[in-house]
Amino acid sequence: MNIIGISINHRNSPVELREELHLNREEIIDFIPKLKDHISEGFVLSTCNRTEIFGAPHSEKVDVAGIIDGLKSFKPVNNFGEKNFDRYFSCGAVKHIFAVATGIDSLVLGDSQILGQVKEAVELSKDLDFAGTITNRLFDTTIKVGRRAIKESLIGEGAVTVSYAAVQVIEKIFANLDKKHALIIGAGETGELAAIHLRDKGVGLITIANRTYEKAEKLAEKIHGDIIPLKNVAEDLHHFDIIVSATSSNDFIVNYDDVKKMMRKRRGAPVCIMDIAIPRDIDPKVTNIENVFYNDIDSLQIIVKQNMKKREKEIPVVEEIIMEEMVQYFNWYNTLEVVPTIKSIREFFEDIRQDELSKIKHKVTEEDYAKLENMTRRMVGRLLHNPTMKLKEIAESGANANQITTQTLIAKELFGINNENLRTEEQDSNWHKN
Amino acid sequence: MLDAIHGLNIALPVMYIVTFALYVIAFFKDNSGLENIKRVILFLTCTTHVFYLLARTIEFNHPPITTKFEIFTVLAFSIACSYFLLELVTDNRGTGLFILLFSVLFQVISSLFIQDLIEVREVLRNRMLGMHVISALLGYSGITISAVHGLLFLILYKDIKLNKFSIIFNRLPSLETLEKMSFISLIIGFLLLTLSISIGIIWLPGAFPDYSFLDPKLISTALVWLVYGTGIIIKLSGIWYGKKVIWFSLAGFIIAMFSLMLSNIFASSFHSFY
Repeated sequence: MNIIGISINHRNSPVELREELHLNREEIIDFIPKLKDHISEGFVLSTCNRTEIFGAPHSEKVDVAGIIDGLKSFKPVNNFGEKNFDRYFSCGAVKHIFAVATGIDSLVLGDSQILGQVKEAVELSKDLDFAGTITNRLFDTTIKVGRRAIKESLIGEGAVTVSYAAVQVIEKIFANLDKKHALIIGAGETGELAAIHLRDKGVGLITIANRTYEKAEKLAEKIHGDIIPLKNVAEDLHHFDIIVSATSSNDFIVNYDDVKKMMRKRRGAPVCIMDIAIPRDIDPKVTNIENVFYNDIDSLQIIVKQNMKKREKEIPVVEEIIMEEMVQYFNWYNTLEVVPTIKSIREFFEDIRQDELSKIKHKVTEEDYAKLENMTRRMVGRLLHNPTMKLKEIAESGANANQITTQTLIAKELFGINNENLRTEEQDSNWHKN
Repeated sequence: MLDAIHGLNIALPVMYIVTFALYVIAFFKDNSGLENIKRVILFLTCTTHVFYLLARTIEFNHPPITTKFEIFTVLAFSIACSYFLLELVTDNRGTGLFILLFSVLFQVISSLFIQDLIEVREVLRNRMLGMHVISALLGYSGITISAVHGLLFLILYKDIKLNKFSIIFNRLPSLETLEKMSFISLIIGFLLLTLSISIGIIWLPGAFPDYSFLDPKLISTALVWLVYGTGIIIKLSGIWYGKKVIWFSLAGFIIAMFSLMLSNIFASSFHSFY
């Protein structure tokens, strides 16, 4: 099978290099025409953690170096060498792209976003006319594998980031998040991620407090939340059921007495405090107060580690799914072998017919010649009808690869055809039209 | 009919054990695929139990509330049935094994010792008594389910406080849900107990001319009712939250269980029928 894959990922390249090589949508749109010099059909997947180039080359000769050079000239980066990319061929390429779609090849095992990113890459490839028979089927199967992994395994279950683990704990305390009010202290990357998770979980109202007002405003706008000044946090704490703190402050922002006062004002109503800052923003002694559920990074890491272990246990289940789909994909691929065989047999018969007709062309009248031509065409058609239909039936029935290879070999042997022709796009499209 | 009753008497504990086992497996095993099967099996067990109770009532010509072991089988049924309805309404499936354990215990003890009683005291054939006992048993089922959810609340509360993210943390619903489930079952249990007490008070003077309102059973029942009533008012008025209300509910449950046993401890109570 003539499929190649080039993968720049977290195993072979440092994060700086991966970031530099990241291609956004517009860049992929510009890069694909250049890629067409080497690959007839394929796709480019690029996320912050990986860049993958997959496709079927124009000929048997696979020009990986050409593709890499093309990428280098399109996106010049320093220190990008042989060791920074993996190459995959044929089965290996298919297996790799299936593994990518399921998230078992991701930096965060079972990454839930990767399937969506694969889908986007596939759609873009189709939009740019970069998808052919082989890759279209490969795309569909890749998406199917990704979906099956989510549905049939627990590879995507449980929180595997600290901010998501915080949300998991919050969900174990409160049931109706839509009626809860959350405070995010710190509008940095971690705070933003926590705010987005809480918004996605349907928390009723989210308020942001940050040292820099503009940053708070920006995040509040993004998540449709409110803002309070950082200096007012201690006074206003009692309004919030969920408090997530992620600042870079060296001192406590909320101390024990603040929380004690808050609980008095809340008349003991439970509050969930997630301190995901290093060093900590909230005095850990608050955990001793009744109905205060306090978690810091260390305790949330316990959840992350537990979930990672669970996901690791699911890898064999996902690999089983990949194997099943690979078998089906290659069975389908092998049926394509039938097309050139049928074509060769037909050409073989047609040559004989033409040869025989040419021998008698000048010995009979034009009228008789026309009759003979018609008669031989019908005869060849009838003779080839059954073998053609039988070969098509075998292909369409999804018979296994060995059976198809055997049948086509017998057919070729019987008529002495040694067909080494490669399938052309025209043949492929004819086959699918039929 | 008698053969069918005897057959069901053996089949029921087996069915309860199987149902309980399915709930245990589903609780401890990820992705066991038993989520819907266990619910169907619980439904079949409850349905079979209905046939068993009806068959006993018809065959022995009295509702199955005349002996401790008949009461136990009704209690097993009402706990399982109440839980089934609760699971159906709330779709929270993580607490079933803790509640169905009570059904298994009550049904196994009942099946081991239950007898075919045709001759019973006339007072036990009274329809008012039937309503009184059945509403009381449903009430006790309600407060049992409430207590189990309360206990689970306390375990989960402790686990979260101590950052112990065990199977309890992973499988149980949220603290808020447990508290809500505990409170809803408590309200239902309390209302049914109130109904049972009301029927008892109306029916008492006619059935027992020598009754006394100072009877230990009546005093303990009144105490249970007051404890639960106070707890409900405190919770509804928003004075107390979570853990405090749960402790109140558990205290009520302990007093209720003590009250249930009183009739056997104090033989002098008019409430001792067996």
